[in-house]
Amino acid sequence: MPSTETSELSPVAPPKSPSRSRWRSVGVLVVLGAAIIVLLSQGILHSLNYFETVDQALAQRSSLGTKVIRLEGVVKPGSISRTSNGASFVITGSKDRQVFVDAHGSPPQLFQADIPVVVVGHFTSSTSLDFEGTQILVKHTATYIAAHPKRVKAPNGTTR
Amino acid sequence: MIRTAWLVAKKDLLIERRSRVLLWQVLPFGAMALLLSGLALGPAHAGTSSAGPGLFYLVMLFVALLMINRSYVIESTPGTRASVQTLGLDPAGVFLGKSLALCVELWLSGLVLLAGTVLVLHTGLHGALVALPSVLVTLAAMSAAGTLYGALTAGAQGAATLLPVLTLPAFAPLLVAGERSFSAALTHSGLWEWWLIVAVALVAYVGVGILLYGVLEES
Amino acid sequence: MIKQLSQRLLGPVTLLCLALTFWLGLWVTPPDRVQGNLVRLLYVHPAVAWVALYVSFGTATIASILYLWKRTRSFTMDRIAHCAMEVSVVFIVLTLITGSIWGRPTWGVWWAWDARLTSTAILGVLAVGYLALRRANDDSTLRARRSAVFAILSAINVPIIHFSVQWWKTLHQGATVFTSNRQLLVHGSMAWTLLLSFVGFTLLFFWLLRARYRLEVLRESTQQMMLDEALLLRQREGVM
Repeated sequence: MPSTETSELSPVAPPKSPSRSRWRSVGVLVVLGAAIIVLLSQGILHSLNYFETVDQALAQRSSLGTKVIRLEGVVKPGSISRTSNGASFVITGSKDRQVFVDAHGSPPQLFQADIPVVVVGHFTSSTSLDFEGTQILVKHTATYIAAHPKRVKAPNGTTR
Repeated sequence: MIRTAWLVAKKDLLIERRSRVLLWQVLPFGAMALLLSGLALGPAHAGTSSAGPGLFYLVMLFVALLMINRSYVIESTPGTRASVQTLGLDPAGVFLGKSLALCVELWLSGLVLLAGTVLVLHTGLHGALVALPSVLVTLAAMSAAGTLYGALTAGAQGAATLLPVLTLPAFAPLLVAGERSFSAALTHSGLWEWWLIVAVALVAYVGVGILLYGVLEES
Repeated sequence: MIKQLSQRLLGPVTLLCLALTFWLGLWVTPPDRVQGNLVRLLYVHPAVAWVALYVSFGTATIASILYLWKRTRSFTMDRIAHCAMEVSVVFIVLTLITGSIWGRPTWGVWWAWDARLTSTAILGVLAVGYLALRRANDDSTLRARRSAVFAILSAINVPIIHFSVQWWKTLHQGATVFTSNRQLLVHGSMAWTLLLSFVGFTLLFFWLLRARYRLEVLRESTQQMMLDEALLLRQREGVM
């Protein structure tokens, strides 16, 4: 039976065998993979969204109150009217759900009917469906289509 | 691995208990940073703002940076690292031990600064208590990530200034998830989602640390 | 023979591809139905981002993994990782700048706090951090090992950026080329020009990488020569 003195000086255990450390690595990788799958499968990553759609906002209308949010919807054709300090228009979600927006500040260059927009602002009261915007952002889609697919040649020969 | 972890954690905490750097240097710094964030918000917003959780975590990031740096400075005496290496300690155990010690230190500072946030920034006490478990998990994840990144910069030229550049990007998701779970606790909504994210982040950082710490320490 | 020829042709072919892209992009392709002439940024921004995220950061990551793997460990891998990361910094900055220029007229803002923009900016900081980490370590083995570990850790951000537009609702548009249903959302000549821009900028990356790599080899050999010379001088001092 070695005394405490000698056991302090006794050689340390040899480094662990490579196979054991390999199994540990595999184990850690499995846990890491499982953690990532849990994260993705729960769909919880959706909570980092940049905006609320009209549908989402109307579904949780009562809890939103007059909190500042970013609201996304498609500009309804024919609803745009320029006001003295910006523009007012109607944005729609699916199934004809719509919100009337009165936004201050000049809208971006691409702002037009039938385009998805994100409006920063808040509902005017805790129950109303009128939205007061402080900024309009245009969210363009990922689709690119030529402006004049059946273009003709101009007299000077250009096709632009 | 576990035994090595205990040994290393005990060693780091013992040094901390004797030097009292956390108590006399880091905590006053954290308190001052909290006061300054209140001043930065201005008198109109400091007591009513919903920025409390975010500012708490921002201050905790700075505190964590100081503590990570400290965790490696105590080993910077010439020969210390070499002699630790010759002991043949399991690197994964060393990593876990250093993370554990850092975690305890961050938990202590976190509790104090959380109380400070409630006091100074008027963040709801009930909400803060509900958020406490998620705060502890986030700080644990922060200490695991910090230990790994601290090892990357240990002994490098200008390690103290290099550490924030490398570590803060890794802290960004923790800041977001921590802030959201804290805010969710204050408004009683969707707390579990963010809880899960910080828990997964903790598992991920500990896992990556166990895998890679050995690579950093091998000679 | 083929290697020599391809090396010699890399520069001219790159320039030709890029010149063709710009000609097609600026004069031949039509304006977009919604975006008008703003669409011409489509032939720069996506390709630059592709090189920044996947080609250059990917090259740096793979080279780092190969360095850490004992069977393929060599300073060549370390050097490739370093040079690719340096080019990556340039392309990430270009991605942010061209994106910002595109964002202002379309969205109405230079910058938005959405998931893709923020994660790309963080990748830029990580890439700069990688270069800073290299400068802070003098010992070449230690430097190589540490920077390889850091590159691999940083690469976790790349899939996050890639999937950010699918996982979250972002102001940034969804994928145009790498769509989930493998359908290209660009029409006609615009599509071909877009694909050509990808080829052109990818070639540009390899051209820059090769130049940077040669420079690095030269720098190292100069350093070695200067060291040898200094040693020789000291030896002579001893003899005198």
